[in-house]
Amino acid sequence: MTFRERLQSWRYNLVPDHLVGEILTKRWTDNAIPFLALVATLGVFGSIIPGFFKLSSLQESTRQLGEFSMVVTGMTVVMLGGGIDLSVGSIFALSCFSAVYVFFILEQSIWLALAASLATGLVFGAINGYLVGYLRLRAFLTTLVTFIFGRALFDILVTTYAADVQLSQAKSDVLDFIGDSTFWGLSVSVWLAIILAIITHIALTRSRPGWHVLAVGGSRRSAHNAGIRVRRTVFMTYVFSGFCASIGGFLIACRLSGAGPGTGLNLEIMALTAAVVGGVSLGGGRGSVIKGLMGAIIVLTMTNGLIRLGYGTGTNQMVLGIMLAVAVTIDIRWLKNRHKVLNEVYVAPVYLKMGETLSAVPGSGTPYALDNRLSAADHIGLGELEGPEDVILDRDDHLYCGTRHGEIVRFFAPDYVRSEVFAHIGGFPLGLAFDKAGNLISCVGAMGLYSVSPDRQVKRLSAETSRSWTSIVDDARLRDPNDCDIAPDGRIYFTDSTKRYDAHDWALDSIENRATGRLLVYDPRDGSTRTLLDGYRYTNGVCMAHDGKSLFFAESWACRVHRYWLQGPKAGTAECVIRDMPGYPDNINRASDGNYWMAWLGMRTPSFDLSLRHPDMRKRMTRRLPQDEWLFPNINTGGVVKFDDKGGIVEAMGDLTGGAHPMVTSMREHKGYLFVGGILNNRIGRYKISGADPNWTSPASYWGAQP
Amino acid sequence: MILDPILDMFRGKAVTIPPLDGAFRPNTRLDDAPAFAELTEPDNLLVADGRLLASSGNAVHVIAAGAEPFVVETFPSSVTALAMSPSGELTVGLESGKLLIASREVSLPADIGCVTALAYAGDGTLWLANGSAEFWPSQWAADLMKKGASGSLWKRDPAGGAFRKVAGDIAFPYGLHTLGSDVLVSESWRHQLVRFDGATGNRSTVLTHLPGYPARLAPASDGGAWLTLFAPRNRLIEFVLQETTYRQDMIDQVPPAYWIAPALASNRSFLEPLQCGGIRTMGIHKPWSPSRSYGLVVRLDQKLQPRFSLHSRANGSRHGICSVVEKGGQLFIASRGGDCILAVDLAMGGF
Repeated sequence: MTFRERLQSWRYNLVPDHLVGEILTKRWTDNAIPFLALVATLGVFGSIIPGFFKLSSLQESTRQLGEFSMVVTGMTVVMLGGGIDLSVGSIFALSCFSAVYVFFILEQSIWLALAASLATGLVFGAINGYLVGYLRLRAFLTTLVTFIFGRALFDILVTTYAADVQLSQAKSDVLDFIGDSTFWGLSVSVWLAIILAIITHIALTRSRPGWHVLAVGGSRRSAHNAGIRVRRTVFMTYVFSGFCASIGGFLIACRLSGAGPGTGLNLEIMALTAAVVGGVSLGGGRGSVIKGLMGAIIVLTMTNGLIRLGYGTGTNQMVLGIMLAVAVTIDIRWLKNRHKVLNEVYVAPVYLKMGETLSAVPGSGTPYALDNRLSAADHIGLGELEGPEDVILDRDDHLYCGTRHGEIVRFFAPDYVRSEVFAHIGGFPLGLAFDKAGNLISCVGAMGLYSVSPDRQVKRLSAETSRSWTSIVDDARLRDPNDCDIAPDGRIYFTDSTKRYDAHDWALDSIENRATGRLLVYDPRDGSTRTLLDGYRYTNGVCMAHDGKSLFFAESWACRVHRYWLQGPKAGTAECVIRDMPGYPDNINRASDGNYWMAWLGMRTPSFDLSLRHPDMRKRMTRRLPQDEWLFPNINTGGVVKFDDKGGIVEAMGDLTGGAHPMVTSMREHKGYLFVGGILNNRIGRYKISGADPNWTSPASYWGAQP
Repeated sequence: MILDPILDMFRGKAVTIPPLDGAFRPNTRLDDAPAFAELTEPDNLLVADGRLLASSGNAVHVIAAGAEPFVVETFPSSVTALAMSPSGELTVGLESGKLLIASREVSLPADIGCVTALAYAGDGTLWLANGSAEFWPSQWAADLMKKGASGSLWKRDPAGGAFRKVAGDIAFPYGLHTLGSDVLVSESWRHQLVRFDGATGNRSTVLTHLPGYPARLAPASDGGAWLTLFAPRNRLIEFVLQETTYRQDMIDQVPPAYWIAPALASNRSFLEPLQCGGIRTMGIHKPWSPSRSYGLVVRLDQKLQPRFSLHSRANGSRHGICSVVEKGGQLFIASRGGDCILAVDLAMGGF
């Protein structure tokens, strides 16, 4: 190995590049930019303003923050529902005035003042909600109108009653407590804001109404089609926003013991900026309360900081405007390009030097030498079938296979012309096996391990195993269950080929070649699933040995077959029995002569083997070329190989023309015939095996003669 | 995106190729055309005394309708270029770097060792394209993968004498078409047609950004020309051409037939590289899938602009077309990848 190659292997096998892509698939990465902005803002103002973090200064800021963040929480919910609420400032001011009027002028109790305040907010919110939600007016214009109307009303009321408020003698300990005191070091307004934020967060993420809001914001039409009451949901978001603004208004009434012309001025712009800067999408459906709060802190720190640095209102407004513009741009660009970034970085190839292999070229004289025998196979279901990955026959000679439409199709013996959909599972049914009771067990790609009873009842057996400690994406989920087989004691051994790609992207895993395949076992007695082996390059076919004491499983991208011992001195360990084959192994099944059939889904090519030693080249390839242009292993030519108990190769056959069976993913021997399936093929092949036992069947081999 | 120019420094630009559009719009005319004759890897076509000649291996055959091709002359090594002088002398370039005029060997300057095309001007001037200074004609793939640009253009005056070098540093000149005293050269590795001034050797590009690797040119009856493109451009190949270490390792360790390189025929062995789009799915090989080989003949008008084209797409078999010739209202097309000579009736039109 050259020094350069050794460096490559260290660089690409030790540095976990794939984590970048996995982290990017997480929704919380959306929070990264606002969080960095938050840290930067606090850092900058904290360092240039002396005493910025002093307790007294913080106390005043946080009181303000409490009120402000409530308004932002309301705005966030409206925006998540796909709307916008410009009237929060005026609702805030009017609620403040309501409280002041009831308390100072009518001299009623503080609780009545709170009720008046809340009522004001709810009424204005309901007006907004009714106009926008039920009458379906434009949110922007409607709330602009309520904003102008509310503001005008507030200005009139404030000038009319300002003097009366000043002269009022009303006093209340509760009001002073709310306005000035602290509770465990935090002011009441902050406590209330935190409680409101937590409740809203839980409601949005964990409750039905919250999900409805997100669904409506994400896609109004889809939400409607899904049966969500869109209009009512939109209505409720505005009511909630009004509610939040009114609490904020009540709190400021308590803090300032009055209302002035400046109350709630420009609050709508600040709240909108806070929500957008925090990362709540203007388009709706994306965002969270936490983001809104981060935005609130950023905006408030910025405006307060600028005021303390001596800048006037004009500068402040301009800074807010610039922040809004930048945030909106980032929001839109990120939303639009996130999946592109993910696509570019997700494939993270590793270095692998494949072993030297014997040739499979026809006439090369090796046991692997392919011939053209399979092209002579009869076809079953030509043009009707799409993607029979695995095929299996029952005791009555009927033929079953999965299709890419998520169905199990049954062809009737003896001529296999008539067919029916035996069961619909969904996903992509791959490996098949019959258990002792005659249930059809299937590994369903993208779903899990399923069982179909003879009377067609579909039952899920397993969809998850235990999660490993170091995983970023949830690897408990079965992503690509591929093939299964059943031990004499009824336990089902099956493979999950990769943790990195979904079932339909299975071929991409060969480009990356990361060892994430698993062998698992499902125990029907207690319904548990355990991971037996992990870290293989695309585990594929599984086959119980004839004596039931061990099983064979294929490791596709490494071109190996392993034997896993169930009993005996080596129980629980795996050993490699065939290595460095010239083809990529897929399913393995029993043969009538005591040997085993193995399907080859494709062939190694020198150019692809070489690219495995150049992970950097593969990485650039995935970034700079569209997927259709990527270099793949040659999966246009496959074959069927027979091997013995010790891993010796008995014979190999193929379809070199590629006309009938270019890729072979499975084969099943039954009464002297070999039935051949392919995941990308449109037929099942039936090939007469010369010299095979004409009475041998797989169900009898596994479970004995007919009971 | 605005940031693309900055990001490109880290990830490199996307690799793109010219689309098959306009005059290059795909059709299946080459695959629809009847095979006029079966011949193994027919390379050069030539009309002499009303007979159609075709080179294949180290022999020149006569091709006639309804008859098996028969050999008129064999040579010690493969024939790489054919031409007929105005006085009727058959001129043959060989793989070994030799040039025969009327079966007599002509001494060539030592720099000529890769005769890829020959053409006589009306006055008897003989033009000669020397594909590469380093490789034999059959090793063209190595020249491409090593990014060779050592080809040269030579001419010999009508009176005879020695060959004179007109221009050098041409990236594999593969076709010649005389235009009065000038000559049009297809420069394969740069995907362009270049016109060289017969007196000064000054060059001017005529047609650039071709969607394939141009091969030989042939005169058309109305004054235009026929251009053959022996292989398509392919984004993976263009990408590999930018990957220095991988390409070097491939040249050193992989047999040339299995390189990620253009080819005259593909999908013949499971050891050849396969691209994702070329996977056979549900029994279908997509005709628009990326391919290492293709069949493409382009008609150039009198201004040497493309007018229309004949195709054999990725799922077709008439690939690797290096030479065509027009005779009696028919266009004969030699498909090296399809092992046959096709005849297309030009009078029928419909292009």
